[in-house]
Amino acid sequence: MSLQSALLQLTKGGPEQQAIDAGEIDAIVDYSSSNVILFPAARRALHASGSSLLAALPGAEYRQLLVGLEPVTLKLGQVLHEPAVPIRYIYFPVGCVVSLMTTVADGKAVEVGLVGYEGIVGLALGLGAAASSVRAVVAASGAALRIEAARFRSTLPQCPSLQQELYRHTDAMLAQARQTIACNCFHLSDARLARWLLMTSDRAQSQELFLTQSFLATMLGLRRVTVTEIAGRLWRRKLISCGRGRIRILDRPGLEAAACRCYSRIERQQLSG
Amino acid sequence: MSRRQKVPKARAADTTTVVVLRLYIAGGAPNSLQAIANLEAICHEYLQDVHKLEVIDVLEHPRRAMAEGVLVTPSLAKLSPLPAANVIGNLSDRAKVLLALGLAPNSRKRPA
Repeated sequence: MSLQSALLQLTKGGPEQQAIDAGEIDAIVDYSSSNVILFPAARRALHASGSSLLAALPGAEYRQLLVGLEPVTLKLGQVLHEPAVPIRYIYFPVGCVVSLMTTVADGKAVEVGLVGYEGIVGLALGLGAAASSVRAVVAASGAALRIEAARFRSTLPQCPSLQQELYRHTDAMLAQARQTIACNCFHLSDARLARWLLMTSDRAQSQELFLTQSFLATMLGLRRVTVTEIAGRLWRRKLISCGRGRIRILDRPGLEAAACRCYSRIERQQLSG
Repeated sequence: MSRRQKVPKARAADTTTVVVLRLYIAGGAPNSLQAIANLEAICHEYLQDVHKLEVIDVLEHPRRAMAEGVLVTPSLAKLSPLPAANVIGNLSDRAKVLLALGLAPNSRKRPA
C-alpha cells in the first residue's frame, strides 16, 4: 500500500488533511493493510537514528541538523573527499563504512582510519578547516546521510552537543590513526588483515563484506598477491570464506585471535564510546 | 426559605482534576519529537501535577493505534475530563491545544 493510496482514506479538507498540508504529520495509519506508512521526511529522520553520533544529540539539536540532511547510498570505492580539496559534504554513515587514507607523492595511499555508524566523514570541517588531510573512500557500500558543508558550518555553533561529539570523535580517530601507524610498523600482514576485516565488519554491522582482494590490498598498502595468500591461509583455518568480490567472517573469535591486539584496543576506545 | 447560593467550585475542582492525555507518535520523527516537546512545555506550564500523559509509538503498536482510531501521527487525544478532544499535528499551535484541553491561555499558568 503506497502513501498516496493511504491518503485517500482521509476526509478531504479534514483536520488530518490540513495538518498534512501544513507539514505537521510524520505517518499515516493504513487500516486496509494494518501498516504505518511514514512520510519521506520522517523516514529520513528515522534513518538518521542509525548513526550513533546523531542519535546521541539532544532533540533540539537533532531537529536543527535534520532539516539539512539528505539520505544517500554510497558505493564501494566512491571517493567522498580528496586531501587538500575543499570538503563539499559532511557524511554520517548509517550502513556504510568509509576508509580514511593518507596519500604519498607517488600515488600510493594507506589507510589511517575507518569510520562507520559511530562517526562522521569530513571531520576537518567541524574543526575549522575547509579541507581534510586525508582521502575518504567508501570501504563498504551502504546508506549515509549528508549535509552541505556551508550548512553544517552555520548550524554547528548552535549545537554544543554536536561540537562535543565531534571533539570526542576526533580524539577517537586520532587514537585509531596512532594505533594504525604502530600496527603497520610492527605487526604481520596476516594480523593486520584480520584486524581490518573485524573493524570493517563492526562498522558495517555485518559479517559479510562486499569487496575485492585488490581493494583490500590498496586499503592495507599490500600487494594483491599477498592479500590472496593471507586470505587463503585464513580460509584454510576456516576463519573466513571468500567468493567473487565477497568475504564472509565464519569464526569471529578465531579471527579475533588471529588479529593483533590493536583491534581490541581501537574498538574498546571507539565503539564502546 | 432562602436558597443557598452555589459557590462556584469549578476553579477549585479544576486544580485537582487530572487531565488524561494520550499522544500518538511515530518514533523519533521530527513532528513527533516536536509534539512531545510542545506538549511537555504546555503540561509544565499549565498542568504541572494534574495530568497523566501516555506516549504511544504507533511504529511499535500499530494495532493499538488502529483500535483507538488513530489516523495520522502525531495526534493528541484528551480522554478525561470530558468532553474528549483531539488535536492533530505537531502541537505548535498552542492556542488550539489549550482550547482542546479546556484551558484558557493564562488561566492556570504556573507563577514564574
